[in-house]
Amino acid sequence: MRSRLALGAVAGLAALGLALTGCSGAGSSSTTSGGAVDGKGKTLDVMIAANALYPTQQQKWFQDVSAQFQKKTGATVKFETFASANDELTKIQTSVLSGQGPDIYDLGTTFTPTAYSTGAFVKLTDDDWKKLGGRDRFVPATLGISGPDQKDEVGIPFLSRPFVMAYNKDLLAAAGIDKPATTWDGLLAQAKKLTTGGVHGMAIAYADGYDPWKFIWTMAMQQGNTILDAKSKKATIDDAAVKKAYQTYFGWLTSDKVVDPAAIGWKNAQAVAAFAQGKAAFLPMVSSSSQVSLDASPMAGKYAYAVMPTVPPGATKLPSDGKAAATIISGDNMVVAKYSKNQDLAFALINMLTSEDNQVAYTKTFGDLPTNAAAAKKIEEGNQLLTPILDAGTKAYGTPFTGAWGDTQLALVNVVVQSIPGLSSGGVSASDLQAKLKTAQDAAQAALNKSK
Amino acid sequence: MTETTLAAPRGAAAPGGPGAQDAPSGRPGRPARRRRLDTRNRPLWMLLPGGILMVVIILVPLVVAVVMSTLDLDQYTLQSWLQAPFIALGNYVEAVTSSPLLRSIGISVSFAAIASVITLPVGVAAALATQNRFRGRALVRSLFLIPYVLPAFVVGTLWRTMLQPGGVVDGMLGGLGVHPGLWLNGPLSYWTLIIVQIWTSWPFFYLLVVAGLQSVDPEVHEACAIDGATWWIKLRYVILPYLRGPILLALIIAFLHNINAFTLPFVLFGIPAPQDVDVLPVLTYTTSFQSFRFGLSAAMAICSLVLIAIPLFVYLRAVKLDSGEEEQR
Repeated sequence: MRSRLALGAVAGLAALGLALTGCSGAGSSSTTSGGAVDGKGKTLDVMIAANALYPTQQQKWFQDVSAQFQKKTGATVKFETFASANDELTKIQTSVLSGQGPDIYDLGTTFTPTAYSTGAFVKLTDDDWKKLGGRDRFVPATLGISGPDQKDEVGIPFLSRPFVMAYNKDLLAAAGIDKPATTWDGLLAQAKKLTTGGVHGMAIAYADGYDPWKFIWTMAMQQGNTILDAKSKKATIDDAAVKKAYQTYFGWLTSDKVVDPAAIGWKNAQAVAAFAQGKAAFLPMVSSSSQVSLDASPMAGKYAYAVMPTVPPGATKLPSDGKAAATIISGDNMVVAKYSKNQDLAFALINMLTSEDNQVAYTKTFGDLPTNAAAAKKIEEGNQLLTPILDAGTKAYGTPFTGAWGDTQLALVNVVVQSIPGLSSGGVSASDLQAKLKTAQDAAQAALNKSK
Repeated sequence: MTETTLAAPRGAAAPGGPGAQDAPSGRPGRPARRRRLDTRNRPLWMLLPGGILMVVIILVPLVVAVVMSTLDLDQYTLQSWLQAPFIALGNYVEAVTSSPLLRSIGISVSFAAIASVITLPVGVAAALATQNRFRGRALVRSLFLIPYVLPAFVVGTLWRTMLQPGGVVDGMLGGLGVHPGLWLNGPLSYWTLIIVQIWTSWPFFYLLVVAGLQSVDPEVHEACAIDGATWWIKLRYVILPYLRGPILLALIIAFLHNINAFTLPFVLFGIPAPQDVDVLPVLTYTTSFQSFRFGLSAAMAICSLVLIAIPLFVYLRAVKLDSGEEEQR
């Protein structure tokens, strides 16, 4: 009953919160005089993901930001952290219902369309962008998932976490491979060559809750299939391109045998661990945050990153309607709540956080990459390891901007989850895969039909 | 509130007393009068704190959940949720006809029943085995409780690690020449869930049976010894009748507990769940927090509430907690 009633409890509490709203003082909105916002005595509330890799650094960063902001505007910043996207969603739900809560939310990029569809966040006008230091200060690709179109943007790119692949330099050199292939077929050929004894060509996390859809989406995009078309409200999962993507992804394990058979039970962290122990030559679909665990492993200094192939499986060059998607646009966006009484102050804070200096400092501490173009350039000059990741960031494409994406993503992963028994016993037949794609297609289409 | 006013709601305070209705201040029949005397100074106001809590944390959310289940409530309508389109039973129809709800109910009910029934003999045997004093009994008794006191999250992570493809369990069975296949996905995953749930929940049975055994009169044991009853006869015809109540209680509570298990399947199998272990709580959760169909999910929650209410009702009738009759026995 606990979990079942949790939702009800949330709503119930929210209703209570609604009743109690009257008790909280209604602060007058901050006034802008000239350029600087006066926030004396005010407190901004920011909801941000807890950083599991650097908890102490994050606490220090919170204090630094608050001190810096107080110097600038007189206002202090209070940070609240959440552990998972679901925690955040619950917080958004209650805040949206009660009309009070954090002023700023830090959202994962793929969650931005869902947040947008609640209509609870400020759509950025030209004037707002000016307060943020200008739309053109950001790396253009990072703006790709800020809104359905340029006029209706809610998300301000805060940090970028593009996906790339890591490779074992020693293994590649020993096999006489000078650099990773740029086509999926080429990569497979290299992986086959690198699979010997206990070492496999690739480490793939088939049981991860997120990784699989990113592979499928990337390979489908490269064949010109966007999975969803938000405009015509059509899902295109039940299609040859998507089928090809799944067959390639499954084939690595079943027919090509370049992946450890145990990988059908792996989460992303286990794939990273296998690579870190030198048991795999390529580790596709990791972000710069993998650097932390890899540098602490025997693999330190023996690996490098590369952009993942942008030529679809079965092709030697990008088809004319294909998109050279190297990664999804991944990272964090910041959004300002409509109910916030301190919107100008909120914009001033985000302006400060996305400034060149602050973005460079953030990258140096946490490893996530800047969305500020000048800062990105600066980072690129200083760090060779990160160059391919920044490069991938400029070749990033956004997932379809619709509230139906959450369900679609789930449906794409579900195809893999339900195929695992088949994968362990040799393979998934074409007809079986077709049936699963049909299920996913129906789920995605139903979600699209409901989308507004 | 004073005590005199509290004696007023006598209709409610005197359950099932047919003679108690029309009595302004006077003399009803004898039985009712006797009851009035002991009900007069009952400190009913003491129910107030608990009552208010019940209303706030159970009744209000329940009503909200019922309301939500009749709305087309999703991410698009969340902001002004009371204005979400009213679709009456639409969510229920969708839940039954085009969602995996019925399948999940089947999985949940059968899993809960099997796990409860298997834990019964295990718990009873453990309780009987530790009833007589022996050296190290206290240690054994505390060891028995370990699976039960471990948080479900820890249990899930532990078993998940052991049951991985190529993990410890596969390694051990492989050494014996047995290769059962995947534990955490596919048809076997259903039995994995049952095995792990049994592992973590049998001490509950054990606890209740131990408590039940305390109530067996020492004279009974003596009488058995004098009559020369064998251990089986003694167990079957003397001890077990004493344990009927605790065992029934444990069976029903274990069943409810199993059917509500969320953390264990969530941690063991992740989301989206493999279809063989897509239990009801996980399905409701996914519908709410992955698909953002809050209305549909509320309808599913209400359905499972009804499902849980059936054994709960049977239980309440069985122990007669709902009628107040137990006082008279």
